[in-house]
Amino acid sequence: MTPGVLALDGTTGAGRDELGGKAASIEAMRAMGIPVPPAFVLTTAVCRRFDDPADGAGAVPADVWAELPDAMAELERTTGRTFGAGPSPLLVSVRSGAAVSMPGMMDTVLNLGMTDEVRDALAAESGDAVFADDTRRRFVEQFAKVVGEQAPAEPWEQLRLAVAAVFRSWRSTRATAYRRDRGIAEDGGTAVTVQAMVFGNLDDRSGTGVLFSRDPLTGAAEPYGEWLPRGQGEDVVSGRADALPLAELAAAQPNAHTELLAAAARLERAGRDVQDIEFTVQAGTLWLLQARAAKRSPEAAARHAVTLHAEGLISPAEALDRVTAEQVEALLRPRVDPRAAAAAEVLATGKPACPGIGVGVVATSGEEAEDLADTDADVVLARPTTDPDDVAAMSLARAVVTDLGGSTSHAAVVCREMAVPCVVGCGPGTSAGLAGQTVTVDGGAGVVYLGALPVVPRGALDDPDLRQLAEWARAEAGAEAGGPLTALLRARQGAVHPAEQPAAVR
Amino acid sequence: MTIELRALQALRLKGRATAEDVGAATGAPAGEVGPALAELAAAGHCEQARDRYKLTKAGREQLGELLAAERATVDQAAIVAAYRDFDAHNSAFKQLVTDWQLKDGATPNDHTDAEYDAKIVHRLGELHEGFVPLVDRFVGLAPRLAPYPERFGGALAKVRAGEHIWLARPMIDSYHTVWFELHEDLIGLAGLSRADEAAAGRAE
Repeated sequence: MTPGVLALDGTTGAGRDELGGKAASIEAMRAMGIPVPPAFVLTTAVCRRFDDPADGAGAVPADVWAELPDAMAELERTTGRTFGAGPSPLLVSVRSGAAVSMPGMMDTVLNLGMTDEVRDALAAESGDAVFADDTRRRFVEQFAKVVGEQAPAEPWEQLRLAVAAVFRSWRSTRATAYRRDRGIAEDGGTAVTVQAMVFGNLDDRSGTGVLFSRDPLTGAAEPYGEWLPRGQGEDVVSGRADALPLAELAAAQPNAHTELLAAAARLERAGRDVQDIEFTVQAGTLWLLQARAAKRSPEAAARHAVTLHAEGLISPAEALDRVTAEQVEALLRPRVDPRAAAAAEVLATGKPACPGIGVGVVATSGEEAEDLADTDADVVLARPTTDPDDVAAMSLARAVVTDLGGSTSHAAVVCREMAVPCVVGCGPGTSAGLAGQTVTVDGGAGVVYLGALPVVPRGALDDPDLRQLAEWARAEAGAEAGGPLTALLRARQGAVHPAEQPAAVR
Repeated sequence: MTIELRALQALRLKGRATAEDVGAATGAPAGEVGPALAELAAAGHCEQARDRYKLTKAGREQLGELLAAERATVDQAAIVAAYRDFDAHNSAFKQLVTDWQLKDGATPNDHTDAEYDAKIVHRLGELHEGFVPLVDRFVGLAPRLAPYPERFGGALAKVRAGEHIWLARPMIDSYHTVWFELHEDLIGLAGLSRADEAAAGRAE
C-alpha cells in the first residue's frame, strides 16, 4: 500500500503520481542536495481514501493523521523551530499538488501555525512587531478566503482544516469539469505538501529574490536576477520596484550568492532548460523555494536553444521544440528594446492588429493628428473606433490605437494595408487616457508603453542562431524541404493555435 | 439632391480629397465638381491646400444640418430594417478582407500563393452578387447613395482584372473603401452612432 505521509528528504523513491507536481519538484531538488525548506507530503493515495465512508468520508483518515506529529517533528528538528509555539515558532505553508496542475483546486495557505503567542514570539525574534502583525493578518485573511472559514486558534486544527480543504477541492465543480474536458483520470487525486516557511524579512542578513539561470530577455548566457534585502515572498515576483541587481547580493552575502549560482547551474543541467528560481535568504542561509523552466523573450528563445545545444544539454530536435514560429517572426521585426520594455510603464494593452513599432505623441482626432503631422511631429492616432474620415490621419500616423474592435475591424484592416503598427480593442476610455502623451506602440505584441523607448532594429536574416535553427529544421524535415524557418517551425507545431503558445516575457 | 451635400459628405469621408475624388464619390459630372468646390470654399465650408480640399469646422456643421434634413425625408423604419440586413453581409466582408490580409488569422498573406488569392477574389464576386440587391434597396430609400453600385462594380472589375490593390487599399476607391463609406452613410441615415454600433460588434 502507498504510504500516506512521506518526508521529502530526497530518498522517498516515490513518483509524480503519488507526490503531485509540487512535492515531486521539492523531492527532486532535495535529492540533488539543493537547499529547500524541509517539507512532507500527504500523498495522492490519501486523497483517494478521503471520500471513503470507511475512513469517515470528508475527513483525513485517522491512521494518516496519526503520522503527522512525527512528520512535523522532523520539520521542527531540521529548522530548530517549534510548530505553534515560541521562542522560535515554525510556520508552514499548505499547498495542493496534483500530478497535473488544474484550476479550481485550493491553492495555498501560507503562515499556518499562527497564534497570538506565535505572533508575539515572531515580534520578539525579528524585533519587528509590524512584520509579526502583518504576517498574522495575511494568514487570517488568506485562510478565510482559501479554506472558506475562520482560522481556528489551535495550530493543529488549522492544519486539519487546510488539509481537508485541499482534498475536498479535488472534487470541486471546476476541477472536475477541467478533468472531464482534458480526459484526466478522476481517481488520480491531489497530494498536500506541508513545508516550513522561511522569512526573508527576518533580519538584515535576510531577503528574497528571483534568479534566471540565463538572461530571459537578451538571451545572454549569464545569470540574471533581482534581490530585495528584507523582502518577503511575493515582493519581488510581484514586481515591487525597489529590487536590487543580483550583484548587490554578491557584495553583501558572497557565500549565499555563490551557492545560489551553483544550484542554478545544477538545476539547469538536470532540467536541461533555463531555470526561473525563487529564493529566500534567512539569516544568511540560502533556501530555494521554486524552480521551473523560464519564460523568455523571442530573442532569448532562439539564443538559449542554440547555446544549450552547443553545451551538449539538448538535441537539435529539442532546440527546435524550444522556439516557435511566432517567436522567429517577432525576431524578424523591429522591436522595443526588451530591457527598456520591462522597465517601462504599460499604458494599455489590446489585440495586436498590425505588427511594428511606432513612437509618437497621441492625437485623439483625425484633424488633430493631421495638424500635428503637418508640423513634422511623429503622431500616434488613438480613437474609440476609426471612421472613414480618419483614414487620411491613419496614413500619416506612426501607429494607431483603438478602444473597441477586433482583428477584422476597420482600423485593423486599413492599418495592415498601409503597414501602420496597430493595436485594437484596448478598452473603453483608453484613447482619451492616452491623449497628449508620448507613447511607444508595439503592434506585434499589442502593447502601448509610456515614453519613447529605444527600438531594436529588425533581426538580420543571416543571424547565426536563426541560420543554425533553419539548418536543423531542414535536416529534420528531409532532403526536399525548403522554405523559411517560420514555415518549417509551423509545420512541426502542427495545428497548435497561436494562443496556446507559451507566453513571452515582455 | 443638391451637389452641396454630396460634395461635403465626400470631403468628410475622404479627409483630404482632390476634385477627381469628389467627382468619383458623388457621381457628379466633371464640369459641376470644380464650380461646386469653389462655391463651398467661398462659403467657408472647405479650404484648399495645393490640389486637395478639406472640410472646415463650418463645413462640418453645414454638413450635419444637411444630413439631418435628408434624414427627415428618409423612411426611418425601412432604412433601419435594411441596415439590419446589412449586418450579415458586413461580417462576411470583414472576414473576407481579413483572410485576404492574414492566413489562419495570424500570418501576413504575402500574396505568393496565387491559388489562395484567387479563391478570395472568387468569394468577393459571390459576395458582391448577393449584396447588389441590398445596395439597390438602399439607393431606393436614399437617392443620394446612387453612385455606390457603380463604385462597387468598378472596384470589383479591377480586382478581377488582377489589380489587387483595389480590394482593400485605403485612400483609393477600393472595394473596402467604398464599403466602409457606405457603412458610414448607413449609420448616419439610420440615426445611429459608430461608437454604439462598434460596442454592439456591428461596426468596429
